[in-house]
Order: sequence, then C-alpha cells, then structure tokens
Amino acid sequence: MDAGVADRDVRLFIFRRFLEAATPPSVEETAHGLDLSVEEARASYQRLAEARMIVLHPGTVDVWMAHPLSAVPTPFLVETGGRSYFGNCAWDGPGVLAMLHADGRVATRCPDCGELLDLVIVNGKLASAEGIIHYAVPARKWWDDIGDA
Amino acid sequence: MLLFRSEEHLGRWLAERGLERGATMTPEQQWELAQAWYSDRLSHDYRRKTPEEAKATFDRIGLTGPFWRLAG
Repeated sequence: MDAGVADRDVRLFIFRRFLEAATPPSVEETAHGLDLSVEEARASYQRLAEARMIVLHPGTVDVWMAHPLSAVPTPFLVETGGRSYFGNCAWDGPGVLAMLHADGRVATRCPDCGELLDLVIVNGKLASAEGIIHYAVPARKWWDDIGDA
Repeated sequence: MLLFRSEEHLGRWLAERGLERGATMTPEQQWELAQAWYSDRLSHDYRRKTPEEAKATFDRIGLTGPFWRLAG
C-alpha cells in the first residue's frame, strides 16, 4: 500500500466524519470506514500527526485538532447550516466557514469584559464584526505548543 | 488568537496579566486569512503551505514583519 495515498484518504475521512458527527472518528472507525486494518489506520494517524495535518491528544491516537476544527469545546463556537462546531481560536472559527465555503456565525466572548462578540459571514463576505484579533505567539513558534498557540 | 472588543480592552487585559503585546489584525484581515488558509482543506490533494507560500499569503493581507515569519 502507498502510505501517501492512504494518508490522504485517512485525512479526508477524518475531516468528513468530524463534520458529519461534530466529533472526530476513532482509529477503529476510520479503519472500518476505509477497509484498513486498525494497525494501518493507527500508523496513518501517527504519520498525519507528524506531518502536522492533525493533532492528537498527547500519548494517544485520539484526534484533538484537525485544523480548523477542535474535538474539545473552545470559546469559538461556529454555527452554520443548522450545525455547530468548535474552532481552535479566532483564526480557526472563521476558518471552519472558509473550509466549508459556507455562511454562518462565529461566536466568542471578549477575554477582557466577557461581552459576546461575533463574526457573521453572509454570501461569503464578512457581514458584521467588531473588535480586534490578538496573536500572542509569533508565527515561527506556533508549533512549539500548538495547544497554546 | 483571541478576539477582543477593542484596542482598549486588549490593552487592559494584557496589562492586568503583565503580558506583552503580540500582533493584531482586523476582523476583515482575519476573514481573508481564514479563506486563504482553509478554503482548500477538504481537497483530497491538500498539502500544507510552504514557508514561502505562507509569507506570500501574509504579505498579501498586510501581515508583515518578523512576527509573521514562519522560519528563521
């Protein structure tokens, strides 16, 4: 089996199932869905993590992030097409809508005052938004601790 | 990456925590960046941007300077 081809299939399977179920598939589910052995699927998850295509919970093969999606609740709730997801950050919230080429809303709260803020996308354009996005970590350090970035 | 109500709210939040200011962008820039970064993520042949491609994307959106350099 060509690992590159399998990894592309596995990556896409993870994203599609993540979007369908709002939670990422386990290695076993992916193996079943793609007719792979569990060992092949596990190895693919690990290669995808090494290639920074997905992020696994430390010490596991459970998907934590498939950017822009987060498997755990975050302060960035994305609502689109009657479904909701969590983005990893203020970049990934609208990133979910960009990935889906869909309109929708990203809701978060100002870390300072707690006020509800949102970004609304209509017809592919930013229809309403206010505020300012702060990036604390320089780009070259994002992957030093991706959970913190 | 966090969204603040305004510059004033960001400044207060940083000061209260003794944190340094990083870089900021407008919601318009953020939406542009989100589109540039993620619109091909569901493509079967998706691959990560090279540092050069990322720099070109940041430059186009007006995100310049050392903060946005991915390598070096």
